[in-house]
Amino acid sequence: MSDRIEGVKKLFTSKSSRVDTNRGDTYYKELFARCQARLDELKAEQPVNNRVDISEMLETQGVDRRDFMKWVSATTAMLMLPSSFTPLVADAAMLMNRAPVIWLELQDCAGNSEALLRSDGPKIDEIVLDIISLEFHETLQAASGHQAEKQMDEAMEHFFGKYLLFVEGAIPMAMGGHYGTIGASGETFHDHLLRAAEGAAAVVAVGSCATFGGIPAASPNPTGAVGVMDVVKGKPLINIPACPANPANMVGVILHYILTGQVPELDSLLRPKFAFGYRIHDNCERRAHFDAGEYVEEWGDVGAKNNFCLYKMGCKGPMTFNNCSIVRYNEGVNWPIGVGRGCIGCSEPDFWDKYAYERPMADAKIKAPTGGVEKTVDEFGLGLLTAAGIGIGIHAAASLAAGKKSDDESGESK
Amino acid sequence: MRPGYKKVERMNGTMRTIHWVNVTSMIVAIATGLYIAHPYYQTFMADGAVDKYVMAWNRWGHFIVAIIFDVTSIIVFYLSFATRFLEKKPYEKDLPSGGNIREFFEVFLNLVTLNRRKKFDSSYLDSFNAVYFTIFHLLLAWMLLTGLQLYVHGLGAGVSSIGSWWPWMLHFITDWTIPVSGGSLMDVRISHHYTMWWLIVWVVFHIYYQVWRTIYWNEGDISIVIGGSKYVKDEES
Ligand code: HEM
Ligand code: SF4
Ligand code: SF4
Repeated sequence: MSDRIEGVKKLFTSKSSRVDTNRGDTYYKELFARCQARLDELKAEQPVNNRVDISEMLETQGVDRRDFMKWVSATTAMLMLPSSFTPLVADAAMLMNRAPVIWLELQDCAGNSEALLRSDGPKIDEIVLDIISLEFHETLQAASGHQAEKQMDEAMEHFFGKYLLFVEGAIPMAMGGHYGTIGASGETFHDHLLRAAEGAAAVVAVGSCATFGGIPAASPNPTGAVGVMDVVKGKPLINIPACPANPANMVGVILHYILTGQVPELDSLLRPKFAFGYRIHDNCERRAHFDAGEYVEEWGDVGAKNNFCLYKMGCKGPMTFNNCSIVRYNEGVNWPIGVGRGCIGCSEPDFWDKYAYERPMADAKIKAPTGGVEKTVDEFGLGLLTAAGIGIGIHAAASLAAGKKSDDESGESK
Repeated sequence: MRPGYKKVERMNGTMRTIHWVNVTSMIVAIATGLYIAHPYYQTFMADGAVDKYVMAWNRWGHFIVAIIFDVTSIIVFYLSFATRFLEKKPYEKDLPSGGNIREFFEVFLNLVTLNRRKKFDSSYLDSFNAVYFTIFHLLLAWMLLTGLQLYVHGLGAGVSSIGSWWPWMLHFITDWTIPVSGGSLMDVRISHHYTMWWLIVWVVFHIYYQVWRTIYWNEGDISIVIGGSKYVKDEES
């Protein structure tokens, strides 16, 4: 309950998901100067560890300068900066290896690492992510056991106060946290995370598990899984939910950090507004069919063949904030609704229990507040109505049989 | 007029108009709300998508009655404190004073003893009905707040044709419904839908009770909402 009250306080004081995209020339001039100074400073520094040069890397991957600049202007727009910032963003991308990153892998499926590492041809987002200075990544590194631990300690010490801590996966809290331990000494995920967070400049939770507990926290949540923001306090924290988090948004956050040295503007769930200020439903190519009342009724029907709206197949676009309907996945190739399946609300809290049931909310079986029973809202409602009907029926029958009418002769019964 | 009875004015024109506007709004809100929940008709009309607009019209209808509901609720709230038509202001009947509590139970006992005891003044609004109407307005307020929360999702960019104060205000007054209904936007929607059923149950009992009173009290209660008055025994005659 006290959590809820805290939540209420937070919501009352939070701003809307609005991002002010035109703050006036003075603001942007000042920001420009600040960013430029910061980039000059970073340029003077040596790359931390990863000495790969991005221009070389892009060249070997067959990306020409023109494609790169196209990507840069798209990214500038995504970060909601005026186009005059394009050269700065290009510079920042070149300086990605100045930001040391430590990446922890907790209770999860490694889907975000997978997204970051790309599955088919490397896209610019992923190449840029490749040259961030990944000082430590539990899934990717060759080291193991004590050696791995030593590496992490070294990285943490060396870059104390400077590194970005990326966290993927939920934190199991039940049984003293012993559902998840790591390393030769059997440190719990909880302790591991707190130790790594201590020296971090900022903590970035990627994917729905790290942000809101995600799938591990789905009912009945046997391991007591929670998200990073429930555990790490007193650090700048950025949530990049979705399953998996979109690499474009990870790049956006790191670029923003390199460019300005600050975390981007966040909404009340600590999600960057540049990415989560959009509702899927409002930027969905099937929206005309929604308004028209044209829905896919079952997989493979005429509606499905004609790209009708997926609302009746359980699309949760109307309740989901994410930018995948705009930036899409795999460098703009496609996204879930584009390939003909509904949104399951992967970027919202509790999405597995509350969104991902592949039918409209009104047709899904949900748990009664008391737990246990699972019925649709209408079944609960009809149950209520039936109970009321029975009560009224009994009262009406009794009144007919034994009711006493106040009438003219006897007056009121006194 | 029946001999020995006197006429009591209970609802003036404004109040009766509000009552029937609410009835209509409620029916439209339920019909369109259920369509939004399960779009069940006309998926395959022959016209092109831009012409038929079935969901859009249903949502439009839902929002129009929602706004009407918003306005009538504010008027009713105001009148319950400010009306000069009734001797006793309705809110006074809600206060948990000894007399009101006693009256509440007397009216309740009258109902469960099938009108075998009637120890209260039935000429004006009694505490039982006052509380029952207050429950209605609380349910309605919850519908308004959760409904406006669902509505503001469509203004994600934080701007609207009437300015940015509108989404800002909606966030300010309705964001607390998220944690209260369970933590996610979907919980707000579940709660909005579920509360509809409580309103329907409320309406069913409301209608039953008014008809029952009319039959058993024999004071023409039903006509309060039509002609504006009812009859009570004239003690002086
Ligand atoms: C007695 C009054 C009302 C009733 C019975 C009612 C009923 C419903 C129902 C059953 C739904 C469908 C929920 C689902 O998907 O299962 C709904 C949706 C909705 N209602 Fe209401 N509602 C009422 C008042 C309001 C009010 C006052 C507003 C204020 C704006 C409102 C706004 C909405 C919105 C925005 C949706 C979601 C529609 C969409 O996003 O497409 N409702 N309502
Ligand atoms: S497919 Fe989903 S997001 Fe797209 S219009 Fe339909 S309900 Fe909205
Ligand atoms: S369409 Fe919905 S479920 Fe799919 S990735 Fe986007 S936000 Fe997540």
